[in-house]
Amino acid sequence: MTALLKVDRINAFYGAAHILHNLSLEVRAGERVALIGRNGVGKTTVVNTLLGLARLGEGQIRFRDSEIRKPRPYLAAQHSIVVVPQGRRIIANLTVEENLVLGAATGRKGPWTVPEIYKLFPILQERAHTPGTALSGGQQQMLAVGRALMANPSLILLDEPTEGLAPVIVDQLATIFNRVADQGTALLLIEQNMSLVVRVAHRYLAMAKGAVVASGEVNNSRDGLKDLEAHIMV
Amino acid sequence: MLTINLFNGLVYGTLLIVMCSGLALIYGLRRVVNFAHGSLYMLGAYIGYSVAAHADFWVALFVAPAVMAAIGVVLDRYGFRLLQDRDPLTVVLVTFGLLLVIEDFVQTVWGKSNLSLATPDALNFAVNLFGTQVPAYRIGVIVVGAAVALGLSLWLRFSRYGLFVRAASTDPTTTSMQGVNTDALSAGVVGLGTALAGLAGVVSAPFMSLSPSMSADVIIDSFVVVVIGGLGSLAGAFIAAMVLGMVQAVGAVYLPDASVLLPFVLMVAILIWRPAGFAGSRT
Ligand SMILES: Nc1ncnc2c1ncn2[C@@H]1O[C@H](COP(=O)(O)OP(=O)(O)OP(=O)(O)O)[C@@H](O)[C@H]1O
Ligand SMILES: [Mg+2]
Repeated sequence: MTALLKVDRINAFYGAAHILHNLSLEVRAGERVALIGRNGVGKTTVVNTLLGLARLGEGQIRFRDSEIRKPRPYLAAQHSIVVVPQGRRIIANLTVEENLVLGAATGRKGPWTVPEIYKLFPILQERAHTPGTALSGGQQQMLAVGRALMANPSLILLDEPTEGLAPVIVDQLATIFNRVADQGTALLLIEQNMSLVVRVAHRYLAMAKGAVVASGEVNNSRDGLKDLEAHIMV
Repeated sequence: MLTINLFNGLVYGTLLIVMCSGLALIYGLRRVVNFAHGSLYMLGAYIGYSVAAHADFWVALFVAPAVMAAIGVVLDRYGFRLLQDRDPLTVVLVTFGLLLVIEDFVQTVWGKSNLSLATPDALNFAVNLFGTQVPAYRIGVIVVGAAVALGLSLWLRFSRYGLFVRAASTDPTTTSMQGVNTDALSAGVVGLGTALAGLAGVVSAPFMSLSPSMSADVIIDSFVVVVIGGLGSLAGAFIAAMVLGMVQAVGAVYLPDASVLLPFVLMVAILIWRPAGFAGSRT
């Protein structure tokens, strides 16, 4: 079976700054993978390279069977890979509902529609016609997740989706991520919150200085949590 | 006297609406303040003139905007797209350079002397408006401008591509991440904006004489409108265009000596009152 996403020894740059060094990773259909690492190791840069927002040097990116030589932000979504970006990036001049509809831009059919998203996040229905950025941080994150689901993707990249959110919201999102993954959507969860990682991911990749330095199974136990936390300790 | 002036103000306001919607759309997607927009308007008028000479005005009304749309797509692909992340001064210099190139091209092809296009026969009559005789053609101009304003507003508000355009005007990267090919979208929108400049050109040809300097007045007024309305805001530009048209009309009656200055006075007054323009929310 071919991987949904295969990154092979990529190097990435912002201007002259060399951020990713021969980084490889792979996500297969239905997998739940966590990408962990301290602030500034280059987690977001991995996403940005896939989207063409950081410059790709040597190395190869494949979305399913297609090699992506010149990444552009829309190519990932067109290949059924969507990103819930760090900082959420809700579009300010669109309403909550319009932000959701925008998520369906590729027109790919599947289980997720506006009513289904509203069932998942009833608060979004209550706020459907308010500007997206008028929501609270937690609600905006729900909207960002809902927008990504609207693409009916086979893989979702979540870039620190619980950053700055209250623990109850984090719990709620963990449940949702599991539900989405149970339905067969693969997840690449970029996180520094290891208690979320052990609840959602089955496998992890740990980054340091722009490369993957460790990987393994996620063990949902107290020891498992300790092992993971060791990777993000200073 | 006042009635006919107000009427002409309305005609000019609607022409400005057509011009400024193009400017605002292009700025929204590409963040390019297109100084050549007035020259594109002029080019549209001249192309319309030539097409009308070989076929007739009604053919020109469609052909000139279509040719301008194609020019706009090329302009976006090989111009604005490359200017996207450049500093504003570079953008100003390049679009200003384009303005000079187009003006030179027009002079070379059509010459320096004034040309005029006859009013199409079907609209060559007068209509009685509140006791004043007004040319039917100019009523047609108002209808075209209103149709453009209404059509664009409905398209942006209710259509799928309208949603993409609104989203991309605020955050092109995030919009693109949803799978919208923003390169193609921008080419389409710049094509549309340029076609609208061309449409304004053909439509105005029968009542403003064609000359290589015809772009100057319109572009200055268009910028005043766009600044007053709030950069990138269509609704703001629509209101500002009508206000400017009316202010000039009334000014021509009561302050004939100062009427050329009025747009600037209006602009300064509004910018003091609301620095981002009526509808502007960003800087
Ligand atoms: N636009 C940019 N231009 C130049 N350098 C950048 C840019 N964005 C990030 N960097 C640098 O690249 C490195 C990796 O940043 P990146 O955002 O990928 O880290 P991260 O692992 O996502 O961190 P965080 O957990 O804080 O989100 C950092 O040293 C950062 O300073
Ligand atoms: Mg990051």
